[in-house]
Amino acid sequence: GLSSARAAEVLARDGPNALTPPKATPEIVKFLKQMVGGFSILLWIGAVFSWISFGIQLAQGAESPFDNLYLGVVLALVVILTGIFAYYQEAKSTNIMASFSKMIPQQALVIRDSEKKELPADQLVVGDLVEIKGGDRIPADIRLISAQGCKVDNSSLTGESEPQSRSCDFTHENPLETRNIAFYSTTCVEGTATGIVINTGDRTIIGRIASLASGVGNEKTPIAIEIEHFVYLVAGVAVSIGVVFFIISVSMRYKILDSIIFLIGIIVANVPEGLLATVTVSLSLTAKRMAKKNCLVKNLEAVETLGSTSIICSDKTGTLTQNRMTVAHLWFDNQIYSADTSEDQTTQPFDQTSPSWTALSKIVTLCNRAEFRPGQENLPIMKRVVVGDASETALLKFSEVILGDVMEIRARNKKVAEIPFNSTNKFQLSIHETDDPSDKRFLLVMKGAPERILERCSTIMINGKEEPLDSEKAEAFQTAYMELGGMGERVLGFCHLYLPEKEFPDTYQFDTDAMNFPTSNLCFVGLLSMIDPPRSTVPDAVSKCRSAGIKVIMVTGDHPITAKAIAKSVGIISATSETVEDIAKRLNIPVEQVNRREATAAVVNGMELKDMNSEQLDEILCNHSEIVFARTSPQQKLIIVEGCQRQGAVVAVTGDGVNDSPALKKADIGIAMGIAGSDAAKNAADMVLLDDNFASIVTGVEEGKNNNHLRTETLLINPQETGQCCPQGPDGLFLLQIPSVALAYEKAESDIMNRRPRNKRRDRLVNEQLAVYSYLQIGIMQSVGAFVTYFTVYAEQGFLPSTLLGVRVNWESNAINDFEDSYGQQWTKYQRTYLQWTGYTAFFVSITIQQVADLIIRKTRRNSIFRQGLFRNKVIWVGIFSQIGIALILTYGLGHVTALNFTPLRFQYWFVAVPFAILIWVYDEIRKLLIRRYPGSWWDKNMYY
Amino acid sequence: GLILLFYLVFYGFLAALFTFTLWVMLQTLSSDIPKYRDRISSPGLMISPKPDTALEFYFNKSDSQSYLEYVTTLKNFLESYNDSKQSQNIDCTPGRIFEQNDAVVKKACRFNLSDLGPCSGKEDTNFGYSRGTPCVLVKMNRIIGLKPEGEPHIQCTPKDEGTVAITYFPPRGQIDLMYFPYYGKSLHAHYLQPLVAVQLAIHPNSTKEEIAIECKILGSPNLKNEDDRDKFLGRITFKVQMTE
Repeated sequence: GLSSARAAEVLARDGPNALTPPKATPEIVKFLKQMVGGFSILLWIGAVFSWISFGIQLAQGAESPFDNLYLGVVLALVVILTGIFAYYQEAKSTNIMASFSKMIPQQALVIRDSEKKELPADQLVVGDLVEIKGGDRIPADIRLISAQGCKVDNSSLTGESEPQSRSCDFTHENPLETRNIAFYSTTCVEGTATGIVINTGDRTIIGRIASLASGVGNEKTPIAIEIEHFVYLVAGVAVSIGVVFFIISVSMRYKILDSIIFLIGIIVANVPEGLLATVTVSLSLTAKRMAKKNCLVKNLEAVETLGSTSIICSDKTGTLTQNRMTVAHLWFDNQIYSADTSEDQTTQPFDQTSPSWTALSKIVTLCNRAEFRPGQENLPIMKRVVVGDASETALLKFSEVILGDVMEIRARNKKVAEIPFNSTNKFQLSIHETDDPSDKRFLLVMKGAPERILERCSTIMINGKEEPLDSEKAEAFQTAYMELGGMGERVLGFCHLYLPEKEFPDTYQFDTDAMNFPTSNLCFVGLLSMIDPPRSTVPDAVSKCRSAGIKVIMVTGDHPITAKAIAKSVGIISATSETVEDIAKRLNIPVEQVNRREATAAVVNGMELKDMNSEQLDEILCNHSEIVFARTSPQQKLIIVEGCQRQGAVVAVTGDGVNDSPALKKADIGIAMGIAGSDAAKNAADMVLLDDNFASIVTGVEEGKNNNHLRTETLLINPQETGQCCPQGPDGLFLLQIPSVALAYEKAESDIMNRRPRNKRRDRLVNEQLAVYSYLQIGIMQSVGAFVTYFTVYAEQGFLPSTLLGVRVNWESNAINDFEDSYGQQWTKYQRTYLQWTGYTAFFVSITIQQVADLIIRKTRRNSIFRQGLFRNKVIWVGIFSQIGIALILTYGLGHVTALNFTPLRFQYWFVAVPFAILIWVYDEIRKLLIRRYPGSWWDKNMYY
Repeated sequence: GLILLFYLVFYGFLAALFTFTLWVMLQTLSSDIPKYRDRISSPGLMISPKPDTALEFYFNKSDSQSYLEYVTTLKNFLESYNDSKQSQNIDCTPGRIFEQNDAVVKKACRFNLSDLGPCSGKEDTNFGYSRGTPCVLVKMNRIIGLKPEGEPHIQCTPKDEGTVAITYFPPRGQIDLMYFPYYGKSLHAHYLQPLVAVQLAIHPNSTKEEIAIECKILGSPNLKNEDDRDKFLGRITFKVQMTE
């Protein structure tokens, strides 16, 4: 090995052997980002405007300029409080993330100064000799110089789920393919090896991939784009209304300065103060609910993105499947039996009466080296930890479920000799005493690759009797083998032989090296096939995606046959659809002659993908609705994601390995696996799936879709703004927006998962129809109702509507204190102002009342309210009552707080707007009825938002 | 096209609905008396002439142009108090509330301009402005049904003692109860509200100074004059600055 001095030198040159962590955004920057992003800007501008007009008025010596000061303060407070809230929310999920990655400092066994030393892994340098053994994490990229049965799990790097064997032989030009290199951060599953460090830290393969991820630009989330769009829209509306009023007031000979203040007032009034809070709160409510369903959202905007997802690119292993081999089928007595592959099996339903099964089960039990870790007796069998490889584990659990205590059975059938599995023999053999005291024969049991096992057999067991293995029976075996293999399953053959007592007395010494016992002319008993079965919740989730118009694409490193089998069993490829190859097989024509358009499904091999240009990939993504990518390298995942995004889709991608992180980052929403995922993946992702289950993504999508209410909330707010800008209403009007949060609790419209995801280019959060409907229809209707109340208050106090027109200048003059009303009475300025406040209060109350109707109609966009149920969402009623409560408190409780300018109101004014509220409801029901009745009609196109 | 038509119909409907509801509401109101009068329970005070610049009088007694506006305003204001205009008004009993609830046509009480003495504009058409003794008329806001109690009168005090001598017309700034109550514009068409003229004899030492004068209504328990927020309720403050 190296000398310590040399190592220190190299260490000084290359730096420590650790990945540079991604540049963490300082907390303060994160915090400030919350304060100035998107909407907040609008509010800040509003606040600054208010302060400007406060300044102007103060300089002018106006009587009550402080209203504007307060308004500015309120706006600023809204931004700051919301910012703090959002920051807190995100910090909370970041903390959960942090708890995932509690890194234990890694140790490495290094030979330095000719001595074996335990060193922290970050002290390794190029040229160090390191020793690794089963269970270790590879501390750097190393080239092996000696290896004994060494296998590494490269899944985090290449996505291959099978452990790869490693030796000292150079087998391939490509460092990723050759057998003599083990990579940093992969794990050694079994065996031992010694190697020389060839790369450390960021120069390792994984380091390079990780730095690749930070180079991939982050896509703007759809909601961010939407909010930007909305800000422009609102700003446009506000400014144009403001300018119109400015021109009107100038032409009505108001002073320019007054007109400017008026202009600013209108612009500020149009700022949806509550929307920011509403959006944040409603996103966090949804995020919270998603967290309960095992989707941990890292940033709030991801909630909305998830709801608009149109393509999910999912891993197979661990996400769609249970990530453990399980016995799926058995073949004995010339018949295939299926086994239960669900997560929590306790019994197996297939016919176990046949004596062949008894024989088979004995082989399965005995010819197996896997063992349960001790101390797990209370756990369900399927959850116990097993020492042994994946297939043996599957067999052990399978037999434990059916036969009970396997260890006890093995103890009764004492093992006397054993040949473990190796790649040359391709079989595993052991010899046991039998548990029948009267039977003194030894039992030889063997399992392995079916064709190899069959070669060694001369008989086959049918219904417990040994029959000669003729060509007909061999044919049956072949058919079964092909069938099981065709299902993507790993098939093992089992055979046995009772050694004659005379030749092998119980004192016989078995020698496994000399093989002094028969290994041919055995009796074939049966086949068992194993697969990593889909999670039981996945097929349902996939069909939900389908009905919601979400395309599910499987991207896996697995073999195409296995991938296709799993895809079929979970419904990613539906039962009726065919791939080009299937069609070719059915019609018995070469693949090239098949019309590619006829095939709805496609299984694309990674090798094919390598040779494709982006047009060809686009064509595949476009023309096939059911796609499986098999044998893909994780780098190709990025290409697939980009391809999907070119189609205009909002793409969700799952991933766990480090090498997935570029794709996770590139995706509109990256979903990392919480259990299997690497830290790099979790860092790059927008969302972490705590249970690694695909079905959780779909529940997340459902929650996110339900969050479509966000849209409705924005539109709920708009009408108030329309109303607000006309008489410069009391500042408290924005309080009205708070109850709209309650819509976040609305149960999804019954058909929500049947609606197509919104197209991110066409369907805006606030689209034209929506803005038009809420500003120009509902907004105007609300204003009409509110103005009726407003004018009623004035008229009943002596100012008939006719007297009120064009009196603004005199009305607001501080010097005029004998302003005459319609009855000849004279009013001082303060008396008028107080009356004005009463008018505002009445206006506010009317809007409140009509907002109840608005809130109710916003529950659905298409369905009748009566179908949705008026009382199912209790929170909305809490919202309605709290809204009315707020109004009551403001009018009666704070009647003497001038800053809010509310005054006590006569009771009857609360009811003036009720007919208008009912009118809004009726109108909206008619609108929805016509939309449902005449889909695609002019009405539908213009009135559906 | 269709969408424009839709909005035309939609807004037409809303406008009609708006007008209709307002019309219905107006039908419930009486044309004589407002439904509620709780927002003006106590009257405000106001002066005439009322300068544009926030109740501040600036004039040069030797420059008739500088006070022309005030004089004209006063003349116009007192026009309706001319005897010729008051022919159908009756002489009421001074010192008593003049209730005429049962009368269909409410009579108005005569207000004699001569009560305003030198401020009536009859002898001095310049209302004293040319002599350094400007007249300001103080009036109380009309409020339907208001019946002052006690003996209401106007009292004005300069902020700084000795800057100005104040004379009231009618004497002691009295407001006679016979002018109350007011029955509203439509029933009480010829009603004239009582006036109090205040003649300010500005002390020669105090010319060029800005003199603040506060007038209040006193002597009546139901006329408020000290509201914190309403600076014109039963009181008024104005400033006078005279140059020579």
